[in-house]
Amino acid sequence: MPETNVTLTNKTGLHARPAGAFVRVAKQFQADIKAHHNGKEANAKSILSVLALGAENGSSVLLKAEGADAQQALDALTELVNTKFGEPE
Amino acid sequence: MNRIEILSPFTGRVLPIEEVADPVFAEKMVGDGLAVEPTEGVGLAPVAGQLAVFHTAGHAFAVQVTPEVGVLVHVGLNTVQMKGQGFGRSAEKGDTVKAGQPVVKFDIPAINAAGYSPISPVILPDLPADYRIEKTTAKSVRAGQDVLMTLVRG
Repeated sequence: MPETNVTLTNKTGLHARPAGAFVRVAKQFQADIKAHHNGKEANAKSILSVLALGAENGSSVLLKAEGADAQQALDALTELVNTKFGEPE
Repeated sequence: MNRIEILSPFTGRVLPIEEVADPVFAEKMVGDGLAVEPTEGVGLAPVAGQLAVFHTAGHAFAVQVTPEVGVLVHVGLNTVQMKGQGFGRSAEKGDTVKAGQPVVKFDIPAINAAGYSPISPVILPDLPADYRIEKTTAKSVRAGQDVLMTLVRG
């Protein structure tokens, strides 16, 4: 199962706007995608689940995906996180 | 559950979500709902459930009602930037809360003084397609007393 670690460098971490963008990208893929942070696991396709991680600026999140397009899903989510969710700084 | 009543977390004027001056809410990027412009600085749990989200900055919380339904309450717009200043916690993440139980206290003048809007969206994220939202037509609501939205299944 492919997995990758990402670091949240945007100002607010996985809060409302970034979480909405994260889930929207995750839903474009068939793969089952989980985000792990601080001992908690979130369904990457659920806004409430992602918000419940409480992942803030500077923290790291482990993404794991399973399914035919798992690697593409992780690549797209990593790109989103690394471009700070398109947020102006 | 086939019918879930969501009480207003706030006392104040009701606004359509589309009129909220933040596209993340107005464009329903996190879900549909309504907003309230609060006149009192208290936010209550709108439903009974588990306090699944309570941001460290105190300005956003969510109550999970069933595994598939939760209500997100966001006090003010862009208030994450206040980093908890002007916000006080009356409950903690993981708590089981009753409908109408106080969750957060906030200082409306401090929010205004910091340059943010106190307009507070109440959102239903991840809502399954078989639920529809009946929104109140009232112009103003009382916290913990008036139903803001009703979720109806089927």
